Amino acid sequence: MIDSTQMVKKIFTQKSGRVETNKGEEYYNSLFEKAKSRLKSLRVQPALRDVDIMDVLETEGVNRRDFMKWVSATTATLMLPPMFAPLVAEATELMNRVPVIWIELQDCAGNTEALLRSSAPTVDDLLFDVLSLEFHHALMACAGHDAEHQLDEAMEHFKDKYLLFVEGSIPTGMNGNYGTIGPAGETFQEHLMRLSKDAAAIVAVGTCATFGGVPAAAPNPTKAVGVMDLVRGKPVVNIPACPANPANMVGVVLHYVLTGQIPELDSLLRPKFAFGYRIHDNCERRAHFDAGEFVEEWGDEGAKNNWCLYKVGCKGPMTFNNCSIIRYNEGTNWPIGAGHGCIGCSEPDFWDKYAYQRPMANANIKPPTGGVERTVDEFGLGLLTATAIGIGVHAVASVVANKKSKEEEEK
Amino acid sequence: MKTVDLVERIEGEAKLICSWKNNKVSDARIDFLNFRGFEYILEEKSPLDALIYTPRICGICGQAHLKATVEALENIYENINEKIEISNKAKLLRQIGLNIEIIDSHIKWFYLFIMPDIIKLNSSDLGIYAPLKGKRWLEACKTASETIKALAIIGGQWPHTSYMNVGGVMSDPTRMDLINMQNYLQIAIDFFEDSVSGVSLEDYLSFDSLNDLEKLDKDMKYFKDLCFKYHLNVYGKSHNRFISLAESNLFRSGKIKQKIVNKIDLSKIAESNEYTFSLNEKENISKKHTWSKLVTYNDNFFETGPLARAIISNRRFIKELHKSFDDSVFTRVMARVDEMAFLINDTKSLISQIDLLENSFIKPKISLNDIEKASGLSVVEACRGSLYHKIDIENGKIKAYDVITPTVWNLGPSNKKEKGIAQKAIIGSPNIEIAKIVLRSFDVCSVCTTH
Repeated sequence: MIDSTQMVKKIFTQKSGRVETNKGEEYYNSLFEKAKSRLKSLRVQPALRDVDIMDVLETEGVNRRDFMKWVSATTATLMLPPMFAPLVAEATELMNRVPVIWIELQDCAGNTEALLRSSAPTVDDLLFDVLSLEFHHALMACAGHDAEHQLDEAMEHFKDKYLLFVEGSIPTGMNGNYGTIGPAGETFQEHLMRLSKDAAAIVAVGTCATFGGVPAAAPNPTKAVGVMDLVRGKPVVNIPACPANPANMVGVVLHYVLTGQIPELDSLLRPKFAFGYRIHDNCERRAHFDAGEFVEEWGDEGAKNNWCLYKVGCKGPMTFNNCSIIRYNEGTNWPIGAGHGCIGCSEPDFWDKYAYQRPMANANIKPPTGGVERTVDEFGLGLLTATAIGIGVHAVASVVANKKSKEEEEK
Repeated sequence: MKTVDLVERIEGEAKLICSWKNNKVSDARIDFLNFRGFEYILEEKSPLDALIYTPRICGICGQAHLKATVEALENIYENINEKIEISNKAKLLRQIGLNIEIIDSHIKWFYLFIMPDIIKLNSSDLGIYAPLKGKRWLEACKTASETIKALAIIGGQWPHTSYMNVGGVMSDPTRMDLINMQNYLQIAIDFFEDSVSGVSLEDYLSFDSLNDLEKLDKDMKYFKDLCFKYHLNVYGKSHNRFISLAESNLFRSGKIKQKIVNKIDLSKIAESNEYTFSLNEKENISKKHTWSKLVTYNDNFFETGPLARAIISNRRFIKELHKSFDDSVFTRVMARVDEMAFLINDTKSLISQIDLLENSFIKPKISLNDIEKASGLSVVEACRGSLYHKIDIENGKIKAYDVITPTVWNLGPSNKKEKGIAQKAIIGSPNIEIAKIVLRSFDVCSVCTTH
């Protein structure tokens, strides 16, 4: 029998599972200097969009203080020390120097919807007025052939400078004929390759663009894949989740404006500032997990008292994302806040492996990040045993029994 | 002469192919060239997993898919005489969630997708309606974002909530949550009164005659004036046949060919893939040109959507407009904006009816995994029209899943007998700009061509 207390301790303290939130004075000082000169050089560049963020904020009734509050929150989100706040503010003003082209492939438009709901001092303004969105399929004014021309012009004009945001997966089956675009019937794959060639970096937004998403669910009828499976020789940043959190989209752009580089990434190309820790690490229901207080089924007393959702299938302990901190819809709520467990939507294969109400202990999942947890089977069992102090030995026994019968069912 | 044009500023992209004769569109074809294969993906999955998959069919109407899935799964219980109990509170929370999603969609659709094209007929400067920077465009985005927060409170987030479950909902809002929801809806009311209609919501809801058009102010007036100037009250007419599958507090189900019949027999719904691409490449012969299937009721095409709902549910103002302007672009768009007003009002009242002491969730006595063989179906009114889900399960797994989206009703290809709804509406357009506006008036959604 595994010593469960030791195991739990190991899981949450192992180095590979942690983000370095303090990289030392020397590192930050040199980054600070770098960012300063980067912003200086951006400032002398002509603005792509003639908008002053301060004017925008003023007309929308956002005062300097509110803006600075947002800046310090964003600085913290980017895992930078407070001394970077003035630079982040400046970077926000200079976002109109970095062109963004946004394309939709095999998608549901959910990330566009999320973008429309991005958070900041009325970021509708911040993003749309300040960010130089040179092309967006659904949001721009022109349509049809005009739109095609606009895209070509933007690519030509901002060669090697633009950030290419990609929403949606890429079907590779049937010679790409599951998805074509434009008058010439270019396949999604050809479209992506053409547009990524001249991009400074590619940002895959949402789990479809990063890992193939729901279209890639078994049996993956269209042979859908993510951007990183096709694009080579260019920096790719993955912002998974279904939908991706717009705060993380803004974060990546700001980081790029600030440093001229994409942020530090994990092994799945996700920015560490957003995906460096688990939902579980910062979950508002974590205290109940630690106390062994679980929702056993929806609608029970535990559910009414916001207890831990682990036993009704929450994948928070396995899911790397910052939604437990920044939440969705401008901080209004997030799934766990509304009483249903995390479905692990920012992890590869979540659609098949993490699907719904199978408690983690009943699913044989190999953690994609490797190293820390071995199989979740072991992991979940270990955790449950650890919390047995709270829930009583008989409860664990029932979980183990249940696990066996479920496994048989799965077969 | 033939032209090929692309329709952007929709969800996904559509290709519009028009034939021209005497400077008018003589024939039209709409191609959807994007496919993901949800119905294939759902096969062999555990039935409850569908609650995660189907909302992701569409980032705009995920609530509708979620509700359709949960109700189709609950219908399975009914069909095996194991009827399960759903509390009134859960029913209300589901309907409220769906309503808010539709309100959000209507606001965005009018301002992001419809107005720019209509204004462009008149002026190259879109002014306050210009995408990404116009004052009203930004206000509309902001209003939609604030309104949807009312849904995020009970759903967790939006898009892609998953708070509905077989047996009820998982969320248990507090009194404070309900107050916050009402406050967010108030933002939509203020916007409707100050910017959309220019009259109080109460006055607007009492509109019942053609003369009331004169009372409109602000953007609805602007829209109306431009429609009359560019004859959008004449263009866009289709078969003038309507269908609405689902009932709610606000909507009645029924169909209208000559007169309204409120009884719907879902077994008369038939899909065809005669013109639809197949996964088997060899079958993709030249007459196949789109990923969208076509759907008929009793062998006839019917238009679904807000206009169908307004007429079948007897909403007076829109019925009067329809009497004068038939199923034109003008009537169709007005029906949708009109519905926004009724939905906001209805949703506020639904929230006030919630009894917090009731259970949100009552666990079904048996598991879907233990059911040997059964089927269930459901219908839901989504933003764009009627949505239909049908699930067959066998030995605890999904055997087959059929989804018919509003897009398939309105924008599917023609059959041998007659033109499809949007196709017929586009024929007769005097130029490509009008043809595209007609197409857009159906709220095109290429991602909904899901099968």
